[in-house]
Amino acid sequence: MKKKTDPLLEQEKTRIKEEWDSAYDYDPRDPLFSLSQSEMSGPTLSRRSVLRLMAAAGTLTVAHLLPGVGMGSAQAAAKKGGVLNAGWAGVGELRTLDPAQINQVLLFQVASNVLSGLMHIDAQLVARGDLALDWTVSADGTEYVFALREGVTFHNGDKFTADDVVFTYNRSKDPQKSIHSRVVSNIIDASAVDDYHVKLKLEKPQASLLGKTLERSAGRAMTIVSSGALESMGLQQYGLTPVGTGPFRVTAHTMGQQLVLEKFDNYYDPDRPKLDKITIQPIIDAEPLAGAMEAGDIQIIGGNPVAPELVDRFESNPDLVVDIVPAPGFQSVWINPWRDPFKVSNFDKPIDELKKDKGFKVRLALAKAIDRDRYIHQAQFGRGVPAYGTINPAMGFFFDDSLGDRSEQRFDLEEARQLLADAGYPNGEGFPKLEIKCTPSARREVQVIKNILKTNLNVDIGVRTMDFPVLIDDFRTMNWDLLRIGSGGDYDPDDGVVDWMQTSSKFNGRDRDKAKMPFGTFSDKEVDALVDAQRFETDPDKRKAMVQKANLLTSDKVACAFIFHPVDVLVHHKSVNFPKESRIPGLMDMDRVTIS
Amino acid sequence: MSRYLLKRIFGALIVMWAVATLVFFMLRAVPGDPLAAMLFDVGDPEAAEILRVKYGLDKPVYVQYGKWISRVLQGDLGNSIYGSRISVSRIVSEALPRTLSLAGLSFVIALSIAVPAGLISAIKRHSSLDHAVTFVAFLGLSMPDFWLGILLIIVFAANLHWLPAIGYAPLSEGFWPWFSHLILPSIAVGTAFSAIVARMIRSSMLEVLSADYINVARSKGLHERRLVLVHAFPNALIPVITVIGIAFALLMAGAVVVENVFAIKGLGRVLIQGILNRDYPVVQGAILVVSAIFVFSNLLVDVLYTVVDPRIRYD
Repeated sequence: MKKKTDPLLEQEKTRIKEEWDSAYDYDPRDPLFSLSQSEMSGPTLSRRSVLRLMAAAGTLTVAHLLPGVGMGSAQAAAKKGGVLNAGWAGVGELRTLDPAQINQVLLFQVASNVLSGLMHIDAQLVARGDLALDWTVSADGTEYVFALREGVTFHNGDKFTADDVVFTYNRSKDPQKSIHSRVVSNIIDASAVDDYHVKLKLEKPQASLLGKTLERSAGRAMTIVSSGALESMGLQQYGLTPVGTGPFRVTAHTMGQQLVLEKFDNYYDPDRPKLDKITIQPIIDAEPLAGAMEAGDIQIIGGNPVAPELVDRFESNPDLVVDIVPAPGFQSVWINPWRDPFKVSNFDKPIDELKKDKGFKVRLALAKAIDRDRYIHQAQFGRGVPAYGTINPAMGFFFDDSLGDRSEQRFDLEEARQLLADAGYPNGEGFPKLEIKCTPSARREVQVIKNILKTNLNVDIGVRTMDFPVLIDDFRTMNWDLLRIGSGGDYDPDDGVVDWMQTSSKFNGRDRDKAKMPFGTFSDKEVDALVDAQRFETDPDKRKAMVQKANLLTSDKVACAFIFHPVDVLVHHKSVNFPKESRIPGLMDMDRVTIS
Repeated sequence: MSRYLLKRIFGALIVMWAVATLVFFMLRAVPGDPLAAMLFDVGDPEAAEILRVKYGLDKPVYVQYGKWISRVLQGDLGNSIYGSRISVSRIVSEALPRTLSLAGLSFVIALSIAVPAGLISAIKRHSSLDHAVTFVAFLGLSMPDFWLGILLIIVFAANLHWLPAIGYAPLSEGFWPWFSHLILPSIAVGTAFSAIVARMIRSSMLEVLSADYINVARSKGLHERRLVLVHAFPNALIPVITVIGIAFALLMAGAVVVENVFAIKGLGRVLIQGILNRDYPVVQGAILVVSAIFVFSNLLVDVLYTVVDPRIRYD
């Protein structure tokens, strides 16, 4: 059984455009982002204000405004109670649920059901307090005072007070205790005014504070932990069975075997959660996961993405529901610009001049020879969107669906063969034997790429699999010919172009020998300038133009051979009601989930 | 005998130390920085460096080794470098019963099949029953355990809904939950083992049944069943015990793969995850335990010889 997203109606498009324009209608010099103090203060932030702050923080995407994601849907009267058995795909164990140590989304999927933040953005994109009841902000945007919800208790019965917020902040800012210390670096002080008021002092105004840093699902550094529980349980046990104020409490955790969450009866919202209990089993391999789903051992799949080879099987099962939405991210084959035969030491040339370089001809030939539709059909079982840049469909407004027709990388077999011949390798003759590195889980997909290149260009590429730690080492030191890696969770252009495409990007050959390699995977001054400029551009149309131009340049100049944008697949039994407001790609908030 | 045991125990400890030391240095020679991989998505090199110093991974290898071995001698296997740094002792002590349960039940199931099959095959040599047992034995040997495991999940769990597909329930939750979760993986692990033992029993029995004393007993009119079970079978056991001892260790190894298939967090999965994550303390601790199981199970086999054959004595 398959659910598909309905096409947008005209009035929806108009609404999205209006909301988008309003969100970006602010003066970036204004510390309150052209909102009044009362608009920035509690007890709620209106949808308009939330969108404005997200825009100012650079995290707003059209995906947030789409119906079914941004808007709440009327939920049928839900039956409370029941036990939900979940399988967490592609993982052997849930190593820690301590927010200060969480480094994977699949861990936070669990933690956000157990722990709370000060804020929460609901289905209507209205920011309400989670543990905060109300708040005020100073005129200069650097001081926030939160009135905390009274009567909230942690799962162990300890009262939640302002001291817990201060404790969480102090813990998170210490790099010895938290791997997310940079996230709170703009907060210079947190102090308890009294038991139920806490003040946060910022170094400078921060648009993302309310909507991201302090948000229940997005924030990690400021996910509120229990100081009492940490002290009595110790760090190790707390990481296994964290104590929070969330709708579910951890009642058992046998690492690698099963985690049990039970309804927290004293949760501050008496209407949530709906379920009595959730059991979560990590299931690392695809076939046992499918077997468990079909046997009824589990009713929903969370964790890592579902293996593509299973989706057809699930869709053909009348007892299962498969919901597919665009996922943020891109996947590529990277081509080392410092190795023959595709060596390019200077990308700072117009494309016509670059095309005269022998090394660039080979790069372009490889990229153009990859039939992305065939790849998606064979490697991803037909699920995915051909990619020509880092900007993905989930970024909505920024995504250029004409790029596939314009990019130099677009599939063109004759041109690819001609380029290779011009580079001195007619019909692949004399082409050196190269290696493409990947993780073992990507081997099958890479085999498809290898076969496509062999068929289309008659070039032999060896496949070398290696564990992720080794692959990362090699990737960062530029020790590879070709390498298959990509990115996920990219909701904003910055996640793509800033993190990957600039000369100074954190994933751009960070540990290379800089004396021998002035840049890592790619470097272009115009791209660097465009990416820098778009980060601070408030006019959405201008920002879009910059992003799309930078994206086109990285595509035309073959920063890498872009392959596809993935999809997010949610699989559950038909008896499970997973409401649209909970359907955020990457997250598994189950406080509104019910079982029929 | 006690001197012999003491010598063997001392030897076993030396073997364990050698294996642990080899693994310690080999792990650090394997490429791949565990902390960089762990924090790849965070993209903060400083965070990785802070953890490196905190876990002592910035020290020279010989310094790390000295600290680790001195802690092991005090009974401290260290802490995982991932997540909340759970103690290795805890990780191993939670995983070991599951692996032992799986290996133990596989052992029992395998022997329950292998012993009668081997005996029948030997007694009814060259009959159609013998050929059938031989065929099934080779089939069992040929099937990879993970493949058989997946097949069993598809048939008995996904289609027939008779048994759970995955997971583990401790005995404390009741015999049936424990047994129902383990029966399929035990069959997967034990099939090849039962085939080996069945063939070994057949071969050993054939040799014993052709011995002179058996012919004498038969000519004296001894009942065939008594002849086989009381006189022949115990003498046929000596080489079989050797195989069983080694094969039990192989059962533990086979459990590694099957644990992954059935999502059972046993010692095998602990090892695999530890190696993939470069979680040095976990791998070192788990290897110590596994090597202890191997060497002491071999010691047990040697002691069992003296029970089965009173002529065998150790000084």
